[in-house]
Amino acid sequence: MDRTPASDAPDAALLVAYANGDSAAGRDLLSRLAPRLFGYAARVLGDHAEAEDVVQETMLRLWRIAPEWRQGEAQVSTWVYRVAVNLCTDRLRRRRTRGQVDIDAVAEPASDMASAVEAMTEKDRADALQAALDTLPERQRQAVVLRHIEGLANAEIAEIMDIGIEAVESLTARGKRALKAVLSGRKEELGYENG
Amino acid sequence: MDSDKTDDAALEALFSAGAANPAKPADEFLARLAADADAALPEPPGPARKPSGGSLLGGLSGLFAASGLSGAAALGVWIGFVMPDLVTDVSLLGEETAGISAFLPDADLSVFSE
Repeated sequence: MDRTPASDAPDAALLVAYANGDSAAGRDLLSRLAPRLFGYAARVLGDHAEAEDVVQETMLRLWRIAPEWRQGEAQVSTWVYRVAVNLCTDRLRRRRTRGQVDIDAVAEPASDMASAVEAMTEKDRADALQAALDTLPERQRQAVVLRHIEGLANAEIAEIMDIGIEAVESLTARGKRALKAVLSGRKEELGYENG
Repeated sequence: MDSDKTDDAALEALFSAGAANPAKPADEFLARLAADADAALPEPPGPARKPSGGSLLGGLSGLFAASGLSGAAALGVWIGFVMPDLVTDVSLLGEETAGISAFLPDADLSVFSE
């Protein structure tokens, strides 16, 4: 079957081709979306096994919806992020009710955050970020990861999280304040109001 | 305020490190996802299939519908086809014009005469 090379074809075109029986198009789309979704879910959940479950369920839902997909109504990437965000939210809420989030689990921060970060290796920085992210309320965590790690625009995050752009800005601002408080040893500043 | 800006810069450095070191899915996991995609692959659209079942009458009504005949006419043609003797007997009951005049008593049937 003639098909635009995977590097050029839009996500929606690949999804439509998949819906028409083109398995290679599905694999192209998978190779594009799955690593991003996994990176996001692993950051938000802090657990690779759970991240795999989320990505697998998200992709299964995409394959099921493929025959009814209408081009132009939504971006495929936005759609899958939305599914993944909701699945992560469910897991974080279940985890919260089990009391698994523990701010004291974060490595003891240095009193001088900037100096400490400067002295860290790249991997240590990523680990420190993960530990700090794990302490954030779920919505702040998701907004911060989508904005500052996945690099999405506020408008797309608003669509993914089904909230307004101002709410996204508020979540990311509060999330960043909370991260700085955790990383600089000012945990008492955290309010931990959710949302 | 300077301290806050410094912390902002440090946080940005952490974000950059996080973005540059994303968690990577295992190859086995990606293979599992690919198998899922293949298993869920929709059937490619093909030519319209003939109905696998259905009665002979159903098939004939479809044929007649395609030719523009009404259901009653289709039934008549069908009876004529399977029971021609019955049709012949009916036609022998009288002249055709007499049969028509019975249904159209006020009509001037002379226009049909040669």
